[in-house]
Amino acid sequence: MNGAELSLAGVCKSFGGLTVIDHLGFTVKRGSRTALIGPNGAGKTTVFNLVSGVYPIDDGTISLDGEDISIVSPAGRIGHGISRSFQNIRLMPHLSTIENVMLGEHWRRPAFSLARGRRAVESVKAALADAGLQTYPGQVVANLPYGIQKRIEVVRALLAEPKILMLDEPAAGLNNAESDDLRALLERVSARGITLLVVEHDMHFVRRLCDHVVVLNFGRLIFEGTPEEVHRDPAVLEAYLGTDARAVQSDNTAKAR
Amino acid sequence: MQSAQQLINGLMLGGILAFVAVAFTLTIGMLNFLNFTIPALFMLAAMVTWALSASGEHIFALGLPWYAAAAIGIAVAMVASLIIERFTYRYLKAHYGDATEHALPLVSSLGFLIIFEHAVITLWGSDPQRLELPFRDMDLHFAGLIVGIPHLFSLGLAITLVWVLSWLLKRSSIGRALRAIAENPDAATLMGVEVARIVPVVFLVTGMLSALAGILYGFSYSTVTPYIGDAVATDAITGMVLGGLGNVWGAIVGGLLVGLIKVFAISQFGAEIEKIPVWGLLLLILIIRPTGIFGKSRLGRGKF
Repeated sequence: MNGAELSLAGVCKSFGGLTVIDHLGFTVKRGSRTALIGPNGAGKTTVFNLVSGVYPIDDGTISLDGEDISIVSPAGRIGHGISRSFQNIRLMPHLSTIENVMLGEHWRRPAFSLARGRRAVESVKAALADAGLQTYPGQVVANLPYGIQKRIEVVRALLAEPKILMLDEPAAGLNNAESDDLRALLERVSARGITLLVVEHDMHFVRRLCDHVVVLNFGRLIFEGTPEEVHRDPAVLEAYLGTDARAVQSDNTAKAR
Repeated sequence: MQSAQQLINGLMLGGILAFVAVAFTLTIGMLNFLNFTIPALFMLAAMVTWALSASGEHIFALGLPWYAAAAIGIAVAMVASLIIERFTYRYLKAHYGDATEHALPLVSSLGFLIIFEHAVITLWGSDPQRLELPFRDMDLHFAGLIVGIPHLFSLGLAITLVWVLSWLLKRSSIGRALRAIAENPDAATLMGVEVARIVPVVFLVTGMLSALAGILYGFSYSTVTPYIGDAVATDAITGMVLGGLGNVWGAIVGGLLVGLIKVFAISQFGAEIEKIPVWGLLLLILIIRPTGIFGKSRLGRGKF
């Protein structure tokens, strides 16, 4: 399985009169583990929504391995190898874990194939086990704890066999142990060559997982570099201290630990 | 003996209502759409079957064998159902976002119902027509009771089809995609479910179910008119509500119950009041148990 390179160039998006993404351009390198960070309202989730096709872009191009995918349908983008999770969990609450996860591979199955052929079920169970979810396949997801649902979303996104996996705040709401489990899972994913793009507020998580950081503020790129460099950049510090000082503080406490 | 025969008659009528109730409950459960074109397709298939198989002066009087005429009737209804999907559900969804949030598809489906009725009246007039199978004795007699063969076939076919349908919904890839659409069409899209390609399947299935019901109704009662859809629609909707919206097995039970209630009400109080017990029951159910007899409706759960 090979990763893909995602590039945004001159991307603009406005809602009504409000410009949310303003001539944004950056590249997520093949096989990298890139974090997309920024203060609240910086446009991180909008970037995800534009890349996965929830909204059309107003201007610019989004390309995957050099191919312009700006006007491909959301389902078509999954076929191109883009798969994502959501900030607010979007699982089908009344379907079982295994059914939710199998939705992830829907696009590559013929419409009238059996959904639960034995081989398909075995491979899905293996994917669940790899994420430490082997005990939950038959359970309805509405009844499962938040941290488990978060990981189910990741497994579902993985079953689409993505070249680039985009995760929107995967560690939010997880306790330390759960967060470590998730990071271990993502490291295994990365080892398979899949490109990772992660929106995350937990800088401790970012620094341990990611090798590249892209910082947005007001829909513009303000910094790009390694996780170590990001703390020393004055523009980043100003963006956070100006609007959301707690993020930097919590990061410093995390560093002290 | 009298009431045993009424029981059989009620179940036989209920078998046809169950068919239509399943078609209603499927579109409600999957798409949150009360599709009023279902009775139009019911009537259309029956009228096409009559027109093609009967010989006479009317348009399309081809004198085809009954099974060929019925097959064409079903095909016509399925194609009509796809056209309806294109111009009610899909068109309005494309223009107004989530079509299920609006009453527009419902109103436009009512429009289609009236257009279909009047197209049929224009083609073949509004008189009742005789639709008969060529077999001489269409009834089974045992222990003094009479069971109509088309009725019995209808009930058996309804149960078989619902069994197949619920199996497909549970086990096939497209079934799982449909259940995902039923829960959240927007999220399903983002997971790679091509909603615009899968929704027409629901319309094909409802078209087929409505058409089969209409043709079986025609053969069972040997009479078709452009208005048969109207009468069946209200009874089938009651059956659907009784069974729980979106619950296909509930629709079967609900349809059978409405059939029984109708037949017993007519035999006890006369044909004039047949609508009152059915609609009274509908109102009663909506007041005391709006989720229907079976409580949770598996498909439309969380939507009503």
